[in-house]
Amino acid sequence: MSLEQRVESADLQRIAAEVLPGQPWSAYQAAARQLDRLDRESVPESLRARVALLGSFTLDPFVPVMRVEAARAGLWLETYVAPYGQYLTEMLDAGSGLYRFRPHVTFLAIDSDVLWNQRWAETPPLKSEPVVGGLLTPLFAGLDVFDRAGSGIVVMNDFVLPRRSTEGVNAFRSKGTFAHTVAHANKHLRLRLALRDHTFLFPLADVVAQVGRTHAFNWRTHYRGHVTWSDTLMAAVAERYVGFALAALGKATKCIVLDLDNTLWGGVLGEDGPAGIALGPQWPGSEFVDFQRELLDLQRQGILLAICSKNNEDEVLAALRTHPSMLIREAQLAAYRINWEDKATNIRSLARELNIGLDHMLLLDDSPHERAWVRDQIPELRVPDLPADPSMYATWVGSIPSLVLLQQTAEDSQRTRQYQESRSREAYRGTVVSIEDFLRGLGLKVDIAPVDDDSMGRVVQLLAKTNQFNLTTRRHDEPTLRRQVASGTWRVYTMRVADRFGDFGLTGVAILERQGDDWHLESFLMSCRVIGKSVETALLARLAEDARASGASALSAEFIDSGRNQVAATFLANHGFTAGGAGRWVRSLDLAGPEWPEWISATALSPMGVSTDDRGERQGE
Amino acid sequence: MIEESDKVSDQARVAAQVRRMLAQVLDVPEASVGPELSSSSSAAWTSLNHLMLISQLETEFGVVFSNQEIRQLTSYTAIIDTLGRRLDSAR
Repeated sequence: MSLEQRVESADLQRIAAEVLPGQPWSAYQAAARQLDRLDRESVPESLRARVALLGSFTLDPFVPVMRVEAARAGLWLETYVAPYGQYLTEMLDAGSGLYRFRPHVTFLAIDSDVLWNQRWAETPPLKSEPVVGGLLTPLFAGLDVFDRAGSGIVVMNDFVLPRRSTEGVNAFRSKGTFAHTVAHANKHLRLRLALRDHTFLFPLADVVAQVGRTHAFNWRTHYRGHVTWSDTLMAAVAERYVGFALAALGKATKCIVLDLDNTLWGGVLGEDGPAGIALGPQWPGSEFVDFQRELLDLQRQGILLAICSKNNEDEVLAALRTHPSMLIREAQLAAYRINWEDKATNIRSLARELNIGLDHMLLLDDSPHERAWVRDQIPELRVPDLPADPSMYATWVGSIPSLVLLQQTAEDSQRTRQYQESRSREAYRGTVVSIEDFLRGLGLKVDIAPVDDDSMGRVVQLLAKTNQFNLTTRRHDEPTLRRQVASGTWRVYTMRVADRFGDFGLTGVAILERQGDDWHLESFLMSCRVIGKSVETALLARLAEDARASGASALSAEFIDSGRNQVAATFLANHGFTAGGAGRWVRSLDLAGPEWPEWISATALSPMGVSTDDRGERQGE
Repeated sequence: MIEESDKVSDQARVAAQVRRMLAQVLDVPEASVGPELSSSSSAAWTSLNHLMLISQLETEFGVVFSNQEIRQLTSYTAIIDTLGRRLDSAR
């Protein structure tokens, strides 16, 4: 395709069609790279969805899957993935990358591991109330910030019991089990999310049930690199996420156009007569009753139903009025075209009458021939392939991505009011907390010390692996480090970090080089596990203090853009450094500070061996 | 004799499957996947892609790699050799 050409939905769909259901992750990866090769600038604005992904686990492998599933629905996806483990800080900080991205949809993918780990913060494990409160309080504080600083909608999943429990056959009697914690969390999540207009609950438990729990999670990648969702679950989640993206872009279906014979009932009315068509409590016929019920559920949300059928109008109207098992009657129809004209013409005429764009209409027709004809005539109309077996209609219709309606009907708002009344009875009231409150609640401890023989190996490892929060991304080997330290050219600082949920180990390194009256930050880095906890400020505060004590007049530093360290880009400016030219930043030590964050205590932490501390290794630091 | 030719065609099948997988994960033409390909020659061979690649190899070939093997499976040759050994001993 030439670069001048506009990229259409059909181009995206063609690439996505190369990935078939059930194919492994690499197929998605390959198709996503093909999408990357399209010229972004020639994708019309109306097809571009900005989607932010905030996870409690690693979501990067989910991005290609999500892009391909979006392309299948004709959308071009631009994604923002929050740095690993930072979903809360990203939401709480109104200046974070999340808010700068201005997403149409923000997906919060929170794994029940978060509950599990909070539960086991103590032994014996904590009960449901403190665990659920400990998660939901900061989470809803984050949503409050989102209401003020964010854009678009937020979609957060419910919690899933990830495996069979070992809590025993008496677990159902107890409130102290993990199963109870999960149920308790879901109850409060549902009640509190229902009060917010732009926030939606994503039915992850339903998706897990659909793919089967044993196929939903990949424990090997979970433990090796925090990639918890299996290929299968990623694809199933992505397919449903796309519905929210379509809706947020205003591309949801507003009207379903229905065929009649072998679509709403079995058989052909004109040949079999009203008594001969299959529609009723017994099979054949019961499958069509269920299908009609599902369609009425869609209609109740505000999706219009219309009929377009090649039939004699008077025969059809008689059947709609008098057939005892017919559920979709005239009163449920926004409009109908029952005649012998071609369907494309009829659908255009329906669109004009209802004043709905053809791209907001969807045709359900059992005939492959009619579908092909209408697709050809009206490319912008959605025309999905119905299952060949009508027994599958009712099961299938819910999987159409464009049938997601974000607006509520009056009845739904009524339901909201009921939730509002019950809110006052709920234990977890939304207390607004600032990011400082959140950090204060973490009980952060750091231990800053010069490098020694025990920590040398870990320092070299961090220098070699850390990509994100790394000012200069300089890699040094052990002999170099030892030589520079021995000669007194460098001072190498290490930082261990812990909070009340656990020990992160040695996760920060700074190398200072004496340059005349200045101390220069030759390297300054942190493992991604401790980003967003303000511990970098503590480390810098200590460096400044030591530099002052040894008579230095300023700290100098540089930021070397490696393409992967954007998270560190604002660090210098935020800590009183001013750009001095030639990429050099300077901070006079006559200025007070940087101040040690008062919520961090300086403590001696027990050294953790390098070998016990490689959790983030394979996914980079 | 028959067993020997079975083994050769098995090896060819494994190699083809690995080539396709590497080509998809690293976004390179299948024809360019060969003994020169390794994590040091390919910028796309990131730690995350490595994690996903290993998992997919395990799923498709029905094996589980040890921590040590995972660290060493950083080239086309290493993958082919290790898989060959593992599949052989499973015979």
